Amino acid sequence: MAAVQVSEAEKVYILHGIRDDLRVDGRGCEDYRHMEIETDVVSNTDGSAKVTLGHTAVLVGIKAEIGKPRPMVPDEGYLEFFVDCSANATPEFEGRGGEELGTELSNTLYKVFNNKHSVDLKSLCISTGEHCWVLYVDVLLLQCDGNLYDAISVAIKAALFNTKIPRVHISADDEGGKEIELSDDPYDCMRLNVENVPCIVTLCKVGHRHVVDATLQEKACSVASLIISVTHKGTVTCTRKVGGGSLDPESIFEMTEAGKRVGKALHAPLMKLLQQEESLGKKHQKVGFLG
Amino acid sequence: MLKSKTFVKKTRSGGVMKIVREHYLRDDIWCGSESCSECKQESTVLQRDACIESNLCPYAHYLIPDTNVVLHQIDVLEDPVIRNVIIVQTVLQEVRHRSAPVYKRLKDIIHEKEKHFYTFTNEHHNETFVEREPGESANDRNDRAIRVAAKWYSQHLKTSKSDPDGLKVVLLTNDQGNKEKAEESGLLVYKCEEYIKSLIANPELVDQLALSNDDKNEITSSKMLFPEHLPLSRIQAGIKSGSFLQGTFRASRDNYLEATVFVQGEGEDSTEGLQNLNRGVHQDVVAVQLLPRDQWVAPSSFVLQDEGAAKDDDAEEEEDRVLRISAAEAARKPTGKVVGIIKRSWRPFCGMLNVSHIKESTRHLFTPADRRVPRIRIETRQAATLAGQRIMVAIDGWPRHSRYPNGHFVRSLGSAGDKETEQEVLLLEHDVPHQAFSQAVLSFLPKMPWSITPEDMVKREDLRHLTVCSVDPPGCTDIDDALHCRELDNGNLEVGVHIADVSHFIRPGNALDKEAANRGTTVYLCGKLIRAVTMFFFDFIRMAFSCIWEMNHKAEILKTRFTKSVINSKASLTYAEAQMRIDDTTRTDDITKSLRGLNKLAKILKKQRIQNGALTLSSLEVRFHIDSETHDPIDLQTKELIVFVCAMLSFQHTTVHLVIRETNSMVEEFMLLANISVAQKIYDEFPDCAMLRKHPAPPPSNYDILLKAAKSKAVEIHTDSAKALADSLDVAKVDNFPYFNTLLRILATRCMMQAVYFCSGMDSDFHHYGLASPIYTHFTSPIRRYADIIVHRLLAVAIGADSTYPDLMDKHKQSALANNLNYRHKMSQYAQRASVAFHTQLFFKSRGILNEEGFVLFVRKNAIIVLIPRFGLEGTVFFDTKDKATPNLVFDEEGPTLKVEQHTFCIFDKVKVTISLDDSNIQHQKIRMSLIDPVIPGVSVPAPDVEPQAKKPKLDR
Repeated sequence: MAAVQVSEAEKVYILHGIRDDLRVDGRGCEDYRHMEIETDVVSNTDGSAKVTLGHTAVLVGIKAEIGKPRPMVPDEGYLEFFVDCSANATPEFEGRGGEELGTELSNTLYKVFNNKHSVDLKSLCISTGEHCWVLYVDVLLLQCDGNLYDAISVAIKAALFNTKIPRVHISADDEGGKEIELSDDPYDCMRLNVENVPCIVTLCKVGHRHVVDATLQEKACSVASLIISVTHKGTVTCTRKVGGGSLDPESIFEMTEAGKRVGKALHAPLMKLLQQEESLGKKHQKVGFLG
Repeated sequence: MLKSKTFVKKTRSGGVMKIVREHYLRDDIWCGSESCSECKQESTVLQRDACIESNLCPYAHYLIPDTNVVLHQIDVLEDPVIRNVIIVQTVLQEVRHRSAPVYKRLKDIIHEKEKHFYTFTNEHHNETFVEREPGESANDRNDRAIRVAAKWYSQHLKTSKSDPDGLKVVLLTNDQGNKEKAEESGLLVYKCEEYIKSLIANPELVDQLALSNDDKNEITSSKMLFPEHLPLSRIQAGIKSGSFLQGTFRASRDNYLEATVFVQGEGEDSTEGLQNLNRGVHQDVVAVQLLPRDQWVAPSSFVLQDEGAAKDDDAEEEEDRVLRISAAEAARKPTGKVVGIIKRSWRPFCGMLNVSHIKESTRHLFTPADRRVPRIRIETRQAATLAGQRIMVAIDGWPRHSRYPNGHFVRSLGSAGDKETEQEVLLLEHDVPHQAFSQAVLSFLPKMPWSITPEDMVKREDLRHLTVCSVDPPGCTDIDDALHCRELDNGNLEVGVHIADVSHFIRPGNALDKEAANRGTTVYLCGKLIRAVTMFFFDFIRMAFSCIWEMNHKAEILKTRFTKSVINSKASLTYAEAQMRIDDTTRTDDITKSLRGLNKLAKILKKQRIQNGALTLSSLEVRFHIDSETHDPIDLQTKELIVFVCAMLSFQHTTVHLVIRETNSMVEEFMLLANISVAQKIYDEFPDCAMLRKHPAPPPSNYDILLKAAKSKAVEIHTDSAKALADSLDVAKVDNFPYFNTLLRILATRCMMQAVYFCSGMDSDFHHYGLASPIYTHFTSPIRRYADIIVHRLLAVAIGADSTYPDLMDKHKQSALANNLNYRHKMSQYAQRASVAFHTQLFFKSRGILNEEGFVLFVRKNAIIVLIPRFGLEGTVFFDTKDKATPNLVFDEEGPTLKVEQHTFCIFDKVKVTISLDDSNIQHQKIRMSLIDPVIPGVSVPAPDVEPQAKKPKLDR
């Protein structure tokens, strides 16, 4: 991933600062950078959201398509993830440079989001064993400035909130053939319940302490970080360690607790913001990508 | 300003797709009104003094119709009275989506300058674009868009400073809800009926109003006569599952309670009884459900005509019962009932009005000329004027409780019996496109005077030095072929056929080409000619497509080549002139030599062809001598035509111009040869997409009647092959009966199949039975037939003289085109026959009653069909007329013979009949024949006095 070169002196400066709960940009250890969210930014998706976190920018688009349910869970739909590391984000992604990171990210996202505890997959079922909605979640990295997971998870949650799936009716004819009928009102849509959709909090171990929403410089000083997905109730649904270094059990516990706390606090304002945006309706002017 | 339109669509594979379209809004869309000073428009459409005298709107106003008004009342909108109408884009789009024919008519009106129809692109106008709101249906949104546009107009016209009185706009809608909403927002709005009725000067427009469904409660009693039609979705499901069958509804000509449904691949099903027919109209695509086997019936031989104005239901049940009883057990056919209509094929029908007995009534029944179409109930105030006229009526709908469909008056064609009117009727009824060519079509004609440019010469061979001449019937204007023949240095002969290069002028895909493709063929009526292609004038120097053979003196082809060329016709001769030159031994000029060479070769070719089994059949053609002033036929003459089958079935100029001479057959012979050579060439080059013509061999059962007839005179006819047939026809002779051979050939003609165009990639049987040629096409008459133009194009591509285009190489498109040409061809022949029949009637009308000798051509169960050689007329002598007691009839199918009392009729019997015109039914006038000789008591009639009645009408004038 995009790495920055940090000199020894800088490292010491950052480490000492974090030790005293004061980071280079003035934040505390559990503070996020400035975050901007806008939904419904791509008109030809069923749901989309753009999130900027510091200089990190991600765009998530969700397309709903009709597919066949997985044989093990015939009454559920499912999500598919694809992360595109655009070379816009950093020159390292050029060519196939971003592929590895993309796969890693999409695998993690799949683990976090594609389960019935996070998203109500049963509501995506159209007819048991035959048709279900498949949500293709496409993540596009526009700019990398650290803490991709958190930004992506927030964007996914916002995009799922924004997703409008056209309502379909199954009409069965006399001899059992099923026909999918589409409502001719484009406003007649199904919305997803995103209450339980978790957000990911990445905690970076820097020195003896850990920080939330690490910048690239801070990341360079860290050897390992922990990814925790937390629901609005504070339930941890998934944890994962990334990075080359090791973590001792005690700090894992500490970091989990901190992640729960931060994650729980993240949901409420996010939902409030999304509802507020929704209530503005169609009339309000979009900021878009040039704003 | 950019907006996006979003909608969700179902894909073919069953998926669901969200589609987003960008939609640009502009601020430079003008209102099109003459009185507006704000809009910076270059030209205006709507007039300043837009006055239609109306009770409701005494002020100048523009009309804005909504979609349903346009769809249903297009006949009214087409009326010249209705002017200054704003067609909102929303309406235009909806109309386009809902009905292609109405859309085309609407477009035509808009293009007409005098109508002052303006299209306002409200969907792209900054101020009138509306977005669909949650919970709003697409229709509601469109209605709102129309209202917003109307509102904008009314405000816009009010503010324009130049006009203090202010023009107003009037919204026309039939939708109650829409009307109320429009009134709320302060618009002037009327129902279409209200508005049209308010027009002071034009009360006749009311008749053209289509009846809308809201009016149904007034029409008849509430009793439901018909079962309900199923919704389309259930029909489709039923067809998929096989419980319903889809087919074309074909009403019976003779029995209005009977119809057959032609199901693709399954043959025919009959449906019977008013209930089961369930409002199907001839040619509709319907879904039928088969009845259980015990309810199947046989097609009855009863002739039931719907005579009564409005029979009560008891009488109908009676008729139904008659039908049931008549069904013989063995002859039962699958019988079903119509459960739904998949596609209506209602067109305006020609016919006449049955004026209601009640004087003040405005509802009348209309009887279409086509007996297969039910009567139509229409509303008109001009019944008195329309009685006795041929009129057109369109069907608007057929409610369940109504015995007849409801319709409205479209236009009057003129008084019945009038020549112009009748011609119009038969063109309309045979679906012959006969309107004048539109300006768009004419614009593609070559500019006169045209000359040959050097570019034209690049791919053309200069053959101007050859002694080319054309030989045509006298008075022929479509000179499109020419011939030459010369001796080469090696002693062989070079023969060339030069056909006008029409495809050089008609380029694929332009309006002229499309029009010609649609019309397909030129239609020849008595005294009138409806062209497929507008006229070109080819003078002596002209561009041609040449087919040139090198032949030896035995007429064997050594070399064939095709080229586009420029020729210089040295002479254009009539058949008679050409014959005279050939016969005149003193003449030794180039033209005559060339003609002699051609004549010699043609004779050999003809002999060869006949040896191969080409058929020579016969038919009688009628030719009218038309009075030059009144255009009434004053005399008619028949020519016995000995023509080749190809010519007869495809009606080339032989049948039209009726000359039998050597020279005629000389030209014909080389045309056939050219057609065959070209067919071979294009098929070799394009095995998948060559446009060819075939004439299938008739199935053996077709010959039954011919064989039986011949046997009755102890003559044997062989039908194993075309050659056998031709040979046995040649030797078939009976002493003292010189006309026998001709009669036999006439009968043989009736056994033949129709020759058809087809695309070589879609068929495997190419054989032309009549010409005994393995392959054939039409190349020689591109001015008359569109098929030849396609063949020209194919050949031009094959020899590298022209470029190709996608449709030419698409065998499905070619096949569709061939189907249209076949259809047009068939209809043009029907129209031609109908035209001859009509003129025959006119002739007999002026002649009064005639006594004539004739021959029995067919014998039927209750009648004989008699051919009068003198007039080429065929008529039926019925033995079971309504007003007389039926004589004792014994029909023997083997003979076939019919024994009437004591006398037995066989085919070829000589009889004497009287001919008169039966005009009791003005719509279906017919020639009536009755028997004079042999005398059968109670059947035959005494020979009437035929004295100079014929002269009388002339003296009166």
